[in-house]
Amino acid sequence: MLGAIADPTRRRAIELLGERPRSAGELAGALGLAPPAMSRHLRVLKEGGLVEDGHPAFDARVRIYRLKDGATGELKQWLAETEALWVHQLASFKRHVESGE
Amino acid sequence: MSGAAVIVALRVAATPQAAFTAFTRDIGKWWRSHPLFQLSRKGDGMLRFDPAGPGGRLVTRFDDGEEWEIGAVRHWLPGERLAFAWRLPSFQEGQLTEVDVRFEAVDGETRVTVEHRGWDTIPPSHVARHGFELMLFQRRLGEFWRGLLKRMSAQP
Repeated sequence: MLGAIADPTRRRAIELLGERPRSAGELAGALGLAPPAMSRHLRVLKEGGLVEDGHPAFDARVRIYRLKDGATGELKQWLAETEALWVHQLASFKRHVESGE
Repeated sequence: MSGAAVIVALRVAATPQAAFTAFTRDIGKWWRSHPLFQLSRKGDGMLRFDPAGPGGRLVTRFDDGEEWEIGAVRHWLPGERLAFAWRLPSFQEGQLTEVDVRFEAVDGETRVTVEHRGWDTIPPSHVARHGFELMLFQRRLGEFWRGLLKRMSAQP
């Protein structure tokens, strides 16, 4: 799932899907994205194993996206923890490099 | 490859060569231990590439003098790319992750991208190390993460 959650838009999409399942159109509206851009992001999230899609019982034409079971657990925490670690360390590195020490 | 990855990037006002040198030579200076993300129970220690260069290893030395090899250097291309294995004391035998750092010239600066891969190999027991503080930890982590990202996105 290279970079699936590295992108701010995709992280926001994950947050929205964490609230409840949504259709691609609903996500695109909430994120202010054109449908093609939204489906690109959703494809990345699907390939990354974070999100799955399905059809509601009442309408086979509608595709609903939801967070995949397990994606909310350990892996997600690890990703968040590791990302925070590197954000922290890179910010420190930046200060060091730019101080010209 | 399978598994998960974290990618964090940021720009620094330096040439790729200077950024690479500072990243490797000075890692013991710029690496700052953070209370929420310590490398081990004993803290982070003092990190260094030893020896510096291809075939080296990333090693940390704790206050009590004990050393831990975080991982072997996989790629050492000054001004371009640095890759090394990443294994913490809390990992189980055979558990390993990989860190890949890229240095790219962008508008007279350098974009530094850290990609940390292989989280599918993290043992479940690792998370338990936070024990009963897990709930608090998660809440603080969320706040910490959002704050950092906000500050980071505010940077050019």
